[in-house]
Amino acid sequence: MKTFKTISLNKSKFTCIAFCVSFFFFTATLQAQEIEISGTVKGKTYDKTALLDSVNILLKGTRTGTTTNKKGEFTFPKKLKAGDILVFSYLGLAKQNIKIKENYSVLNITLVEDDSQIFGALNSNKRYSSKKSKN
Amino acid sequence: MQKTLFVCIFFVNICFAQKADFNNINFSKADYIAKSYQSKNLLNLNEITFNITKDLETDVEKLRSIYVWICNNIANDFGLYTKNKRKRERFQKDSIRLHEWNSEFKTLLFKKLLKRKKTICTGYAYLLKEMCTIVGIEAKIVNGFGRTSTVDFTTLTEANHSWNVVKINGKWYLCDPTWATGISFPEEGTFYFQFNEGYFLTAPQLFFKNHFPIEKEHSLLKDKTPTLQEFIEMPLLYGEAYNILETHIYPNKMHQEIKKNDVFTFEYQLKKEIKIDDLQLIISSGSNERTVQPEISLQDKKLAITYQFKNRGFYDVHLYHQQKIIATYTFEISK
Repeated sequence: MKTFKTISLNKSKFTCIAFCVSFFFFTATLQAQEIEISGTVKGKTYDKTALLDSVNILLKGTRTGTTTNKKGEFTFPKKLKAGDILVFSYLGLAKQNIKIKENYSVLNITLVEDDSQIFGALNSNKRYSSKKSKN
Repeated sequence: MQKTLFVCIFFVNICFAQKADFNNINFSKADYIAKSYQSKNLLNLNEITFNITKDLETDVEKLRSIYVWICNNIANDFGLYTKNKRKRERFQKDSIRLHEWNSEFKTLLFKKLLKRKKTICTGYAYLLKEMCTIVGIEAKIVNGFGRTSTVDFTTLTEANHSWNVVKINGKWYLCDPTWATGISFPEEGTFYFQFNEGYFLTAPQLFFKNHFPIEKEHSLLKDKTPTLQEFIEMPLLYGEAYNILETHIYPNKMHQEIKKNDVFTFEYQLKKEIKIDDLQLIISSGSNERTVQPEISLQDKKLAITYQFKNRGFYDVHLYHQQKIIATYTFEISK
């Protein structure tokens, strides 16, 4: 019984290795289509458009990402394939999802201001007084 | 009467249980992670967010970690607040210039938030929304009227505050990261970090006491959402109220007109046990103020404070817990 078990384990191990090897060859052929993406990001507000540093760029569904440098440039740290989605985000500007196509290599993105209005109320623990006006 | 009251309280408990939905979850791990993670700026927001949430399993713990991290790291910028207020008032009737200012100000606001970790309400709400989105939690910014003792509704012309609604397990919840972060002292132009637990997943009925959303559905009170006028007339609650109250039951209005020798009862549902001795009722006529001795009953976290008003006149009535102010009411007592 025990021997049988070992054999079956070896068998599955073998299938696994075989699968991995074939997968390796398979991915090797795909590698030709891997794309290195770099580019620049600008931010557009009411009166001006300027290169933006610290824009967050993330491969959707993963934790792989980067940010633009002081000149607004970036090179994505991982090679991508067609169909991958890069998410460009910057606080206060509308997020953009860019779907990578085979012929992409340089992405020049402009993020546009979203329409939020800015408000601020102070938190206060000051005691209310009806006689305020006499102070 | 007692029976109806009981039913009412029972109903209130069911309807408004919010943070109570997560009573089985211990937030100490999320709090610990959030408090121990440091970042000089917010330039890589994805990385910060991943790091403070990756070891947490449930959405509510992730939200908690993000919320506590914001409250521990983002200071209130008093200078930005006054500048924005002044300009918005000036351009109030000039929509083009107001739009221009909003745009210009936003650039400044987000730069300060990213690089110096300082902001005002919308910045907090924005940041919470963004960080939630990064980890796949749905969150929205809610704009509306925030009410504190220093807000004068007779001069207020537009929204003055922003907070959030967040969706956890298919249900919307309220939180206010700005007011949970700390307290401002306008006269001195200073701000102090002081975390207030009470603004996290607050019961909608209590939250509404100082948050009136421009879009009604964000009150989470459905068709029971009071009007703006009703909101302005509600009792004035302070930060500490959110730490100890589950709901404010009675009275519904801040201003009361009663007759001399009338007996008045204030009623509250508490969310934690307190000592009766820690409560204090102060009656002030402006020039003269005294601590009175009301009759206080506390049973199953239901607090009732009964007092007979014996003198004519106009009074501010303040309720304190451990020297911290909870609520203010005004009383006009006639013959």
